[in-house]
Amino acid sequence: MDLTLLKALEKEKVLEVLQRDKVLRSVDDERVRRLRSELQICRREAVSVMRQYGERMCARCQRPLGQLWNCGAVCHSCSHRICAACRVVSGKRSWKCTVCHAYRELKIKSGEWFLEERAKKFPVEAEKYECMGEKLLKSYQRLSHIYVVPPTPPPFGKDPSLGKAMDLHNSKPFTKSVENLFVSFTTHIKKISKSQNDMSVDQDLLTEDYCKSPTREKRSLSDTAINKSSTAKDPSLRDLPKKVDSLDGHLRAMGSDDNLPTGSGYAGNKRNSTSSCCSEFTYGGGVSGEIQLAVAYNFRKSSLEITVGACKDLADGDPKRSKCHPYVKIYLLPIKFPARKLKTSIKKNTVNPIFKETFSYKIEQLQLDKKTLQVSVWHSGTLRRKAFLGEVLIPLQGWRFGDEITEAPVWYQLCPKSKQSVGGALEWPTGSLLVKVNLSSASQEGRVQYQRNEIHFGQIDISHLTVMVTGARNLSVSKPGTETFVKGCLSGAEHRGITQVTPASSQWGHKLVFSDVYKVHLLESCLELELWEHTRSGLGERLLGSTRLSGDLIWQQIQHEPNGWHSLTLPMEEDGSRAV
Amino acid sequence: MASATDARYGQKESADQNFDYMFKILIIGNSSVGKTSFLFRYADDSFTPAFVSTVGIDFKVKTIYRNDKRIKLQIWDTAGQERYRTITTAYYRGAMGFILMYDITNEESFNAVQDWSTQIKTYSWDNAQVLLVGNKCDMEDERVVSGDRGRQLSEHLGFEFFEASAKDNINVKQTFERLVDIICEKMSESLDAADPAITGAKQGPQLTEQPAASHQDCAC
Repeated sequence: MDLTLLKALEKEKVLEVLQRDKVLRSVDDERVRRLRSELQICRREAVSVMRQYGERMCARCQRPLGQLWNCGAVCHSCSHRICAACRVVSGKRSWKCTVCHAYRELKIKSGEWFLEERAKKFPVEAEKYECMGEKLLKSYQRLSHIYVVPPTPPPFGKDPSLGKAMDLHNSKPFTKSVENLFVSFTTHIKKISKSQNDMSVDQDLLTEDYCKSPTREKRSLSDTAINKSSTAKDPSLRDLPKKVDSLDGHLRAMGSDDNLPTGSGYAGNKRNSTSSCCSEFTYGGGVSGEIQLAVAYNFRKSSLEITVGACKDLADGDPKRSKCHPYVKIYLLPIKFPARKLKTSIKKNTVNPIFKETFSYKIEQLQLDKKTLQVSVWHSGTLRRKAFLGEVLIPLQGWRFGDEITEAPVWYQLCPKSKQSVGGALEWPTGSLLVKVNLSSASQEGRVQYQRNEIHFGQIDISHLTVMVTGARNLSVSKPGTETFVKGCLSGAEHRGITQVTPASSQWGHKLVFSDVYKVHLLESCLELELWEHTRSGLGERLLGSTRLSGDLIWQQIQHEPNGWHSLTLPMEEDGSRAV
Repeated sequence: MASATDARYGQKESADQNFDYMFKILIIGNSSVGKTSFLFRYADDSFTPAFVSTVGIDFKVKTIYRNDKRIKLQIWDTAGQERYRTITTAYYRGAMGFILMYDITNEESFNAVQDWSTQIKTYSWDNAQVLLVGNKCDMEDERVVSGDRGRQLSEHLGFEFFEASAKDNINVKQTFERLVDIICEKMSESLDAADPAITGAKQGPQLTEQPAASHQDCAC
């Protein structure tokens, strides 16, 4: 019997089931969406009624209620006074008003009752219903995607493991795919059954491309593990569970400590990239195509959530070689603040990339009225040269947040650069913080761990970083005489943040000293500064704004001239909104 | 209109939106107790004596009319074999009800019931509704687990109990319908328990505008 064939069949069988389940779920989602919008309409009517109704009026139909006759009764669910006609009797003597009844019906029909019940046992549920199948499918697609793509050199020549992983996939695409499927099965299942409540971490992993750095290590390791076992013995169906088990152990061993590096590595990635925000760009092969976006507001977390679904029919970023490695960049205008830029992963060799990545900005809903979402598509070329592929500007004024239909994914036509966004930041009275930075160095013998696995021996530069805040410009809120203080936090990929707070003073010249900073770490570090004021009553404190110092360029500059003072003007975020 | 493929994959059933709500049910139990046969009998009214081991997971969809409601059932059939356990247990969480099956001619499958019930307790929600089913009751000659033992165990575990036969179509429909009924009961119970306090509180902020509270003072 051909074992390879059996495995392929096994894979196909499971995939077919998952695919069918997906169809079923999408049909059901559609149904629930419809139900919800019906309830929304029902509620909206109720709201408009509520604004006008007086004490003696039915909250639903607005008919006047008498003092003695037809005086209405209070609905136990919503505590509004309801006339006899607007009630739905559900059992012996119990009734609800029409809106509360509709809500109850929705809970039944959508299965929400079950989700609520289940949440009692598994409190943190990232998604509704059975996201399991979806996850398996997604991860399978992603994994299979890796071996379908022809081998390309690793993006910036940084990580050889990626190239290796690709080679492995190319050499044995057929049997590999089955194993990939099982690896992904077990990783996800392990995660789910292990933590049971930590779906968010899992989601992070899934929204990120597998090729990206946080998971890269893990993938390459599991690949070698598979490779070993498959060369030692002919891979057979019966071996599979064993193999999976040993992988499980492997992954579990890694899983215990992989949360931290994943998180910080990812954050570091993002921060480093902020340096590129003001660099130049070229047009690639023109602007064409569309981008799918969903913009929603999460009232619970008070954050704006932007989901980049996919792009289609993009122009080639490198028309000469007809190549395109697209990624998407998001800003919340009018202030093009580098630290608030969000970027998707880079997709290789495609003009129809699928991203499915969700980003969020922590921001109060009221402030969104002034904002415009700028979403641009870029090609990531060699030597970090990039080409502009189109953009979309979405003004958020009057956006109907909380409305299912408005928040659903929509395809937008990509446009050439608008005047508004050319030349970086828009004219906007933004405040800035004047800062002087000094790096005094002292060397000592020793070793320092660098980049998680390399260890440097020998001369190690240990420095003291002194930051002095000498003033602020255009800070709309600061009045002379108020006492301010500065909170600074130096964090990086290799160390937890060190937080320092200056004493409050009405004079500028707040000084923060971070001692024992490794120079090698500094490049990846991010210094966050927050300017606070004591309120006039002296009882509370208020955040005036925050700013960041990050990106290797700026640190290199500072390191280049040690012991000197570097004057910097850092743009401030005044509304306190920040990318999460 | 219905082509062969439609029937095979149940796509017509799947795409049908004409129902009031959907329940997800999981069938579990040792390998070869007849889970798949049970499901085929119920969903397609068919039976094949040949044993084909289920690969990982599978499901079928059936819409029934019960208590004036059209209820769509997504019935997940799981592989009994140990090696698929990680895949199958992942689906416990999405299931509202379970059919826990053993084979009355197989002592071992009966002894495993306790373990399966523990699995449900671990991986599923707290009010998971379970029916214990002793399958193959047509094979009276080979019976090794008496009906009384099955009943006793089910009482001990707090499950309802049926003896059934997928081959002779005994108690198959009844099992599913009873399970649907007890899920419905649980549903009203949970909605009514939560009702006055929670529903009221939930609606408050949604009827008025947005909560304006700001907690931006993140110290980092």
